[in-house]
Amino acid sequence: MDETIKNQTMKKSFGKSLLYTLPMFLLTFILLTGGKPDFSDRAGTYALLTTFLGLNVLYFLMHFTGKTDKLRAVLFIVFALTLSFTLIKNMVDLRHTMMYSQADILECKMPFCHLVIPMLILPAAFTQSIIYPGSILQGFASISSMVVLWLAASLILGRGFCSWGCFYGGWDDGFSRLRKKRVIRKVNDIWKWMPFAVLLMVAITSALALSPTYCDWICPFKAVTEFEQVTGVESAAKAGIFISLFGGLVVVLPVLTKKRTQCSYLCPLGAINTLSNKVTPFTVKIDRQLCNDCLKCVQVCPMFALTKEDVEKGNVSIFCSKCGKCIDTCPNKAINYGIKGVPAGRMVKFSRNTFLFASFLFIAVFSAGSIITVFKSLFNLFI
Amino acid sequence: MIDSFILGLSSGSTCLLTCGLVIFPYLMAGSAGTRKIVMDLSFFLLTRLVVYFILATLAWHFGKVIFTSPIFRIYISGILYIVFSGMLVWFSISKSRAPDCPAKIVTTVNNKKLVPVILGIVNSLGFCPAILLILTKSATQGTIVQSYLAFLGFFAGSALYFIPLPLAGKIRKKKVFETVGIMATGLAGIIFMIKGITNIIGGIING
Repeated sequence: MDETIKNQTMKKSFGKSLLYTLPMFLLTFILLTGGKPDFSDRAGTYALLTTFLGLNVLYFLMHFTGKTDKLRAVLFIVFALTLSFTLIKNMVDLRHTMMYSQADILECKMPFCHLVIPMLILPAAFTQSIIYPGSILQGFASISSMVVLWLAASLILGRGFCSWGCFYGGWDDGFSRLRKKRVIRKVNDIWKWMPFAVLLMVAITSALALSPTYCDWICPFKAVTEFEQVTGVESAAKAGIFISLFGGLVVVLPVLTKKRTQCSYLCPLGAINTLSNKVTPFTVKIDRQLCNDCLKCVQVCPMFALTKEDVEKGNVSIFCSKCGKCIDTCPNKAINYGIKGVPAGRMVKFSRNTFLFASFLFIAVFSAGSIITVFKSLFNLFI
Repeated sequence: MIDSFILGLSSGSTCLLTCGLVIFPYLMAGSAGTRKIVMDLSFFLLTRLVVYFILATLAWHFGKVIFTSPIFRIYISGILYIVFSGMLVWFSISKSRAPDCPAKIVTTVNNKKLVPVILGIVNSLGFCPAILLILTKSATQGTIVQSYLAFLGFFAGSALYFIPLPLAGKIRKKKVFETVGIMATGLAGIIFMIKGITNIIGGIING
């Protein structure tokens, strides 16, 4: 058994890890600079180089240490924080406030985020119109670019998008890591179906009201991005809902349960991404020959994707976001990234290397813009 | 009409999976062909519609008699919305909710021609929290047509799920659909509760 565990380790030598990082190094350099590096602006150059090196060091460490989750979480949380900062900065630059007015809606000046996608489908199908007041092709966070990015990531990563691509997930992921031990230990498994109920409701109400009801009434991340100007009872109620849901599902419950409760209990896009897990070639597999049923993986899974029954069957459920926490925790190295159709325990290293390359490249390119913006603002303060 | 339709849609899947699966064995009983199944289903839905229209008429009539003052109408309807939507939310989270359709007893009657009609009546008079909410809405409408439209919206939303009923036996993950339906019902309850609170706050602000 010990020999098998040793063979299954994902650690690589320093030289081999460098070799594996080289393609990422070249690709991120080309994609971050657009193929035409411009070093005329000092603060911009420092920000670009810091981001570029930081990303590649993280990727190198994933190969060198054989660990995934903690290194992914660093980037994921930084992405969430820097994106909120960038969004707020853009709002303040454009409107001098985080609040948006009815005029901004009428002028279609709202930046688009992927959580709106479930609300667009039915109205687009039945009325051939996009119900979100944002720009379809132009400007900061256009609808088309976000839809294409999400679609591509979901097809390749499945629900991996929720741990490798979503720029909000880092918030509750971060808060779920603050305490060492859980305060609330027992949470009813049934609540993991809630996002499907939310999806059903917001898809129907958006189609009938022809407005994105999730953004209007529910989205907890309005609290850290932009929100409607408070002009009356209704807008005040909305602000109250946004702040309560952010406080409850993004801050308090993740701290108490060590689970990503917003992603698991509310997010309607998470429900769609769960279904996309059926399409992606990548999965997480449990090698029953190595597993000793200690169930540590069930305890640590932040998305309620693993139950005792799943472990006994050797499969993770469709709720898996491929964060890698169970893989890093398993004392017997029985859990690994896998490719559908390939039996558990086979092509383990190839599966991990391929998945890491695809998922890391996505998050690196997706997050780089906002990280560079934050670094640039910081460097501008000192230079 | 839109919110009634939403309520029908949200509670419809639960309705189908508790009541629909009770009717399904009856529909498939004997050697009934597709035509017979469609006929029986049509009678079942038509009966529900007729009962809903009767309920709409009664609710509107008694609402008109009882809620004479507009302010009284706002406060009472607001309170009823909150109470019934609270019941709807409770229904969705309660572990002791009735697992069966109120019409289940009818299926013990053997293959008689009137069974789809009786099923339709008993199913409509189930008085689940969703029906009580629609009754409240109907009672506070200005005209009888609006009252009919409220029930029609609810009927349309919930009936959508019954249309593919002959395929209901094929549903493999019944429990999942039922769970999602119950949760969606709870969410609809929250929407109506907000509506009730808004009604009362609006009434207070407007004097």
